[in-house]
Amino acid sequence: MSSALTKASVKVAQSKFSILPRFSFALPLLGFGLLALAVVFHLQSETSLSFLQQWHVWLTLAPQDFAEFEYYYSAMPRMLMAILVGATLGFVGSLLQQLLQNTLVSPMTLGASSGAWLGLVAASVFFPTLAVLYREWWAMAGATVAVGLSLLVARRSGFRGLPIVLSGMAISLLFGALASAFVLLNDQYVRNLFIWGAGDLAQGDWNDVIWLLPRVSPLLLLVILAHRPLMLMRLGEQGAQSRGLNLIPVLITLLLMALWLTASAIATVGLIGFIGLLTPQIARRFYARSARIEMVASAVIGASLLLITDLIAIKATQSFGQLVPSGAAAALIGAPALILLSLKRGADNERVAPPPSSHDQVGHGNERRWFKTTPKKGAVVVAFIFIIVLCLALFVFPKTILVNNSVNMQANIHWGWYWPEGYLWQLRWPRVLTALMAGLGLAVAGTVLQRLIRNPLASPDILGLSAGATLSIVIFILFFGTKWLVFSPMIAFMGSFLVLGLLLLLGKRQAFSPGVMVLIGIALTALLDAILQFTLARGTDEVFSILLWMSGSTYSVTAIQACLLTVGVLVLSAITLVWHRALTLIAISDDVARSRGINVLRARGWLLTLIAGICALITAVIGPVSFIGLLSPHLAYLLGAKRVLPQILLASVAGGSLLVFSDWVGRVALYPVQLSAGVIASLIGGSYFVYLLARRRL
Amino acid sequence: MGVIPLKNRYLIHVDNTLALTVSPLTTFIVFLIYMLISPAALALTVKDSLGSQELPAPATRVIALNWGATEEMLELGVTPLGVAEIEGYKTWVAQPVIPETVMDVGTRAEPNIERIAGLKPDLIVIGSMQKNMIARLKPIAPVLYFDNYRADHDNFSAIKESFQQLAVALGKADIAMARLDAQNEKLKQLKQRLNVYFNGQLPKVTVVRFSDAHHVRAYGLNSMPLAALKELGIEPAIAIKNSTWGQVQKPIRDLAYMKGVLLYLRPLPKEAELFEQPLFRMMPFVAEGRIAPVRSTWTYGGALSISYLAEHFVEALMTLPATIASNNHALNSHTSAGIK
Repeated sequence: MSSALTKASVKVAQSKFSILPRFSFALPLLGFGLLALAVVFHLQSETSLSFLQQWHVWLTLAPQDFAEFEYYYSAMPRMLMAILVGATLGFVGSLLQQLLQNTLVSPMTLGASSGAWLGLVAASVFFPTLAVLYREWWAMAGATVAVGLSLLVARRSGFRGLPIVLSGMAISLLFGALASAFVLLNDQYVRNLFIWGAGDLAQGDWNDVIWLLPRVSPLLLLVILAHRPLMLMRLGEQGAQSRGLNLIPVLITLLLMALWLTASAIATVGLIGFIGLLTPQIARRFYARSARIEMVASAVIGASLLLITDLIAIKATQSFGQLVPSGAAAALIGAPALILLSLKRGADNERVAPPPSSHDQVGHGNERRWFKTTPKKGAVVVAFIFIIVLCLALFVFPKTILVNNSVNMQANIHWGWYWPEGYLWQLRWPRVLTALMAGLGLAVAGTVLQRLIRNPLASPDILGLSAGATLSIVIFILFFGTKWLVFSPMIAFMGSFLVLGLLLLLGKRQAFSPGVMVLIGIALTALLDAILQFTLARGTDEVFSILLWMSGSTYSVTAIQACLLTVGVLVLSAITLVWHRALTLIAISDDVARSRGINVLRARGWLLTLIAGICALITAVIGPVSFIGLLSPHLAYLLGAKRVLPQILLASVAGGSLLVFSDWVGRVALYPVQLSAGVIASLIGGSYFVYLLARRRL
Repeated sequence: MGVIPLKNRYLIHVDNTLALTVSPLTTFIVFLIYMLISPAALALTVKDSLGSQELPAPATRVIALNWGATEEMLELGVTPLGVAEIEGYKTWVAQPVIPETVMDVGTRAEPNIERIAGLKPDLIVIGSMQKNMIARLKPIAPVLYFDNYRADHDNFSAIKESFQQLAVALGKADIAMARLDAQNEKLKQLKQRLNVYFNGQLPKVTVVRFSDAHHVRAYGLNSMPLAALKELGIEPAIAIKNSTWGQVQKPIRDLAYMKGVLLYLRPLPKEAELFEQPLFRMMPFVAEGRIAPVRSTWTYGGALSISYLAEHFVEALMTLPATIASNNHALNSHTSAGIK
């Protein structure tokens, strides 16, 4: 595999060598010219001063009246901050992508953003005073933990292909779910974080610039020192080692430096995604000649990009009369750009294609298992667990009993088995049924998807199918308020099928390469995050209904919805089963499937459509739920269901039980406060996922 | 009123002449009796945002799922049976104090319906956040839904109206009227104090909460703080469009050329740091001392919270020099001439 990679990268390098020399002067000029232009435009955005007056402020650095003060203390540091942060993010993106030889890697995709966000939110809830004072340290701690975890999880599958990005996405989802839970339970405490969360560059003095400057200065050192190892990395890990590169220490040092730079940047201005991911992709098209040039070019382009983004954010803020943070603007530009880029990535795909690590090759450590699993035994275990969970969810409950003593009323909470009487039963069964069906549907979707694109880390929530539905509903709420939420199923379907269309369109062109699908997933998920943060930063309470819905709650499900969901999920899942032979063959390889007379493209298209339908349905009813689709197939597999049909069946029951259990825990854990099933599912699923990955069971 | 035409028709049917002579008198008597006995015999009619509904009797076991209703209930001397997010109420609303016996029924966004049902209330009061739960709360007890905070109406008058309706439902209509009258009286006194202090020349005011060192949430025309200012006879310094919760997130520099006084609500962490920022200190409203802090006050409260707001505003404004409005004119025209 690595030799193929080496060949590919050498080929890429050669092809670029052949064109580049002719442009050797024009290209740097172009880059810096763009930067200069962006700087000039950015400086004009918030001032009434003429060029001459601005020039005067720059020369004397001694502002006279308020307009000049404003220019000196707001426009100038803001411009410099945009350059610093943009350059840092671009540089770090390039460093990471070259270091790990993976064009999908960036601080955002490794989980740094959600880690920083969780760190800060948790600190604000638990240590409100300390959180305000040491904001950057909390952010840094969170980001370090998240990225460290993603790297740890991915370490044995290597950092090259999709696994690291998928593990980064999973960690992001896990941390994001945790942060949402904190925000929902303590909304008033975390309010002053929302602007930071949305990422805004506004400055009121030079302090932040002065704070950040020394912290990102190692960047210059890295330009010199990282060059050689990165050039060697282009030859592949073995190639680099054979030329005397001590891989592990270099890797760790450079990674830590990258993390430090990122954390410093986002601690000052907040969460700004995409720059780190996009910039190196642009830079590589023109400036890939050497590692150093690519890094410097990424820094310059990153700075220009952030300046332009921030300019747009300023203009939008001025025309809407309310804050549009730079982070939101970055996501709005970045997500489509990423998708556009992925359209053109065809030739690049060899570089990101994952090692075909399907289940059968990886080989699980069966010998250590305490009991030998067969599909039958697995089914018995799952059925047993399912029944227990169902009983728990329906009957075991804390009950409030009023005691009327002489002074006042007192409520005692009694735990135990209770037959839900009358109205309680009506309140309870739709929730349990919904959780069951949603878990079942997601498990089916996840199993099919993992077989379909031959990647054990694929799941509907990571590939953007759920994100499409969620995004469309969130945007809808943003524009029309919560009044029209009755139409949410239709909107969810629209969003889900738009994504599906995109996937099919790109898929036809590139034979459903996992890289493209993951890119779309990343783009949509990040866009969703940014829009959510933007909504939070608006400071209205409407956002909490969005947040609640986004946490995947069965709370507001009605009996009718539960029944509709049941019918829909069962029908769609049953249709999926019809395709199981095609699925088995495609899971081996496209060629095998084709030689057995299967129209691979059509089968893929149909199966994807079915999955998108299931996801849209579930998302519309209870909102996005992560990890069920990812984990259930693995549970089924670990329990011995290795063929498609038993795996789907076993996974669906396991997924259903998992979500019913999560829902029950959410209802009783903090009684009378309720947590969303999705949050608990993320917690359980996410931790188990990390455990599995770390133990190399996936 | 449905009784009267029925009776008339009956009389007409029996004896036409008698009916013609007697009917006005009968009508009057029936009407009188109807008016006299109806309050005791008939149910209470309460109007909420969804229309009228009848309650069999004044409610005593009440559950409030939003803090505005909780506050109003306590003001009326009714201790609710259950309230959502009691800890939050204690931290953010604080006044009036909530008794220890009140039970928590979960979060405001997702209150625990099973527990609410277990408490067997006879009235549930909700706000816009709980609107989608009406169908599930109705089987437990009558639901009063007050959609007070909206972009398309005057929040304060809606809140006053809902306060009175809530009082009717609790059988405390007279107390509500008295409290509102007392509040009006108090507001009048505050207004007068302010006018005396500023010599009749009141400054224009903008109320904000700082969200961080560079951004504010500015209160819009339909917000409670602006309603309090209106009661005090103070005009807004900048017009901020209506929004659901009455506030808009803005960069601080958008306020730079505001002509008037900036009141900011505490608590404000890092307050000292903000005032050390050179640009902030150069903002005309800071440089000219047209800024004052307001004691920590809840700004989405019930009908009687307006007097707390007004009181705290007056307190804050009276820390400013009395001549600020008259001086300000001169200062403002001067600075703007200097810049242009």
